[in-house]
Amino acid sequence: MENHQPLLKAVDLTVDFGSLRAVNHMNLEVQRGELVGLIGPNGAGKTTAFNALTGLIMPNEGKVFFKGHDVTHMLPHKRCQMGMSRTFQVIRPFVHLTVEDAVRVGAYNRHGERTVKSKVDQVLEMCELGEMRNRVCADLGLATLRRIELARALATEPELLLLDEAGAGLNETELAGFMKLLHRLNEEEHITLLVVEHVMKMVMGVCRRIIVLDSGEVIAEGTPEQISANPRVIEAYLGKRAVL
Amino acid sequence: MNIAAFLKRNVGWFALLLVAAVLPLPLQKQQYTMVLFMLIVLYAVLATAWNIIGGMAGQLDLAAGAYLGMGAFTTGTLLLRWEVTPWVGMFIGALMAVLLSLLIGYPLFGFKIKEVWYALSSLALCEVLRVIFLMWDEVGGPTEVYLPTVNSPLYSMRFTTATPFYYILLVLLVVALVINFRIRATKLGYQLLALGEDEDAAEVLGIDARAAKLKALVIYAFLCGLVGGVYACFYGYLHPSFFDADISTEVAIFGIVGGMGIIYGPLLATILLVGVRELLRARLGGGLEGLYLVVYAVVLIVVALYQPRGIAPLVSSVLQKLRNALAPGKKEASWR
Amino acid sequence: MTDTLLQSIITGVLMGFVYALIAVGLSIIYGVMNVVNFAHGDFVMLSMYLSYMAGTLLVWDAVATPLITVPLLFLFGFITYYLLIDKTLRQLYVVQLAVTVGLQIFLRSLALIVWKAQPRALQYSIIQGNIEFFGYSILTSRLIAAVVSLIFIAAIAYFLNKTWAGAAIRAASDDLDTASLMGVNYHRTYALTFAIGAALTAIAGGLLMSFQQTDPQGGMRFGVLSWCVMALAGLGSLPGLIAAGVIVGVAEAVAVTFFDPRSRLLAIYMIFILVLWLKPRGLFGRK
Repeated sequence: MENHQPLLKAVDLTVDFGSLRAVNHMNLEVQRGELVGLIGPNGAGKTTAFNALTGLIMPNEGKVFFKGHDVTHMLPHKRCQMGMSRTFQVIRPFVHLTVEDAVRVGAYNRHGERTVKSKVDQVLEMCELGEMRNRVCADLGLATLRRIELARALATEPELLLLDEAGAGLNETELAGFMKLLHRLNEEEHITLLVVEHVMKMVMGVCRRIIVLDSGEVIAEGTPEQISANPRVIEAYLGKRAVL
Repeated sequence: MNIAAFLKRNVGWFALLLVAAVLPLPLQKQQYTMVLFMLIVLYAVLATAWNIIGGMAGQLDLAAGAYLGMGAFTTGTLLLRWEVTPWVGMFIGALMAVLLSLLIGYPLFGFKIKEVWYALSSLALCEVLRVIFLMWDEVGGPTEVYLPTVNSPLYSMRFTTATPFYYILLVLLVVALVINFRIRATKLGYQLLALGEDEDAAEVLGIDARAAKLKALVIYAFLCGLVGGVYACFYGYLHPSFFDADISTEVAIFGIVGGMGIIYGPLLATILLVGVRELLRARLGGGLEGLYLVVYAVVLIVVALYQPRGIAPLVSSVLQKLRNALAPGKKEASWR
Repeated sequence: MTDTLLQSIITGVLMGFVYALIAVGLSIIYGVMNVVNFAHGDFVMLSMYLSYMAGTLLVWDAVATPLITVPLLFLFGFITYYLLIDKTLRQLYVVQLAVTVGLQIFLRSLALIVWKAQPRALQYSIIQGNIEFFGYSILTSRLIAAVVSLIFIAAIAYFLNKTWAGAAIRAASDDLDTASLMGVNYHRTYALTFAIGAALTAIAGGLLMSFQQTDPQGGMRFGVLSWCVMALAGLGSLPGLIAAGVIVGVAEAVAVTFFDPRSRLLAIYMIFILVLWLKPRGLFGRK
């Protein structure tokens, strides 16, 4: 029965910061199994939308549905237990934990003491973090920390994973590896992905559907080809750049 | 677990425990020294308990005095009014402390009150209770309420020397350490460490921040409450000054100076800092009133400034070097 | 009954302005530098002792002593910043707590050594006496203290809004990195902020000495109540601080008059806890 409705659905989502409207009546649907990109110029409200979808801030108006349930006022940890997790744009590592321990924090979401270790091993291997499992996060570089953040979210065994600029700051090789990992997660692990991304190459490369946000509103939606030809999208990006 | 392997792995701890256990034998006659050792162990239990809420969960709790006082007054009043033995009373006192912690922790954690504001509200709890007990003449009041000896000194935990109290507190210290290790190795420990580092990041990984912090607070309050019961019996009276803001801040300082989240850190810091303080008091106390505290404050500031991760990492690196020198090629030991 | 109530409310309001002045110092330190100074109340205690010393040695009136103590406390704040606070800026706030608690113990035990445990008070203030005000008598010294406090709060507001140094302080409070990019040396700005925060306690200390005594443990009370005033006011609003100071002053005075002198701190703590529970951002807060 759940399969007929979208996995994630936002209706009329609105977030205000004082007099500033960061997200304006946003509507969005993500179907099970999709790999959707959410793009937009700086300050378009992507991260704010993410925060409202994952429960870190409460929207002023509108509703969020996950697996058909109204989760608008549900705390983040409950959403995670339902199968939703995320990463952060500005990385938020557990700096004093080892890589293994950081992943273990996430693995406890669905595992008890007996099985948690094998889950951690599995995730570490999938994200190619096995060799540095005993390193402390404080000593690691940005690319690795981004991978750890992804790993610890994966360890919670999400059905929906929201990635906030997980590719930012990565070099060409790292980016290619990261894109491959995303494909694998989507196709082999059947995890639905919603990714906010700045790196155009990556969005165009991996996403099958793209949603464009500008000034807190959805201005376009479609395949990568449709989006790159859409005049409103071009205007939104060029217009912003002209101002800058 | 294989017992031999367990013994071998924790050989340092067992050696330490053995030393602590036989320490009173040659010193029995020196009352002052025994009281000093007892006080160190008492502070060590509190600081080790604090490690759970402060060191691991990152909540700067300054209410150790409140839970201690609650345990003390419950235990003492039960003995005084209903002749309940403190051996039982201290557990009821600990439960009262737990009740209190839930009362304060549930709303505070619910409203996401953090950092300095949490610290100040917990300090406020201590002071509020002190004033309440000062004005509540049936139980407290401004004059000391002396505890009677009912049945036998053993029944009412009224020993004439510090040595029995030293052993009781030593047992509590072992309990507090074991609880710390248990928590650290299991789900709650990982959750608390994550919360202590970044609450939002922990929550999106499925951690119920309020529930986890409450669990930590409850365990901490329970241990402080137990110590409170012993505290009352040692002093032999009840007084509102037991709700001591100074003890509360000192316990937190031991936890911080020892090294946040490092299990043996608070114990180490307590031994060093209380040791330094009392040594200074003995050396300088005769001359100027308060001079030893000036020096103590300087020591505290210097340690906090130049060893902000605590003294435990320093000591463990020294230990590591020592071990490498003795047995090269051994695998790195994980202390945390 | 109503007479006593009104009388204690008037006393509380007047006291509240002095509390607001103390809290302004704490508030700019916390608001600008995000530094948790647990020793702020002990700065007040130190100021009161310095006023006492200046008053007895030079036979000055208490209200004149800030002429000497303000530069002293400014210097003290400056040195404290470079010696201690500057090193804790990039540390966890718990390290700041440990350092400022160390400072607190240091100041208290120092006061105990220098001035001993018994309370000290200055004797002959030229502004002793009462003023009749619609049938209520007001201690002149308290009235003067309140007025002077208000003047200095206004002066601080002017300083922050109208001078270059004030602009630098405000810039540093908004965004450390941007401010330093724009050529604001944040170490110097922070040192200035901390020194001003300390100097404000010297004014308050002098005013308080015109009608109060001081003892080594007295800092606790001022520390607690200035945090309480700040919690009530929220960050970044000087009128809010005045209103919050008045609320705390009145609550304290009413509790002391009608309930029990020992409940002085209890009233303050109760307000503090209630505000944190009900309005975590403060009653008048902007941030």
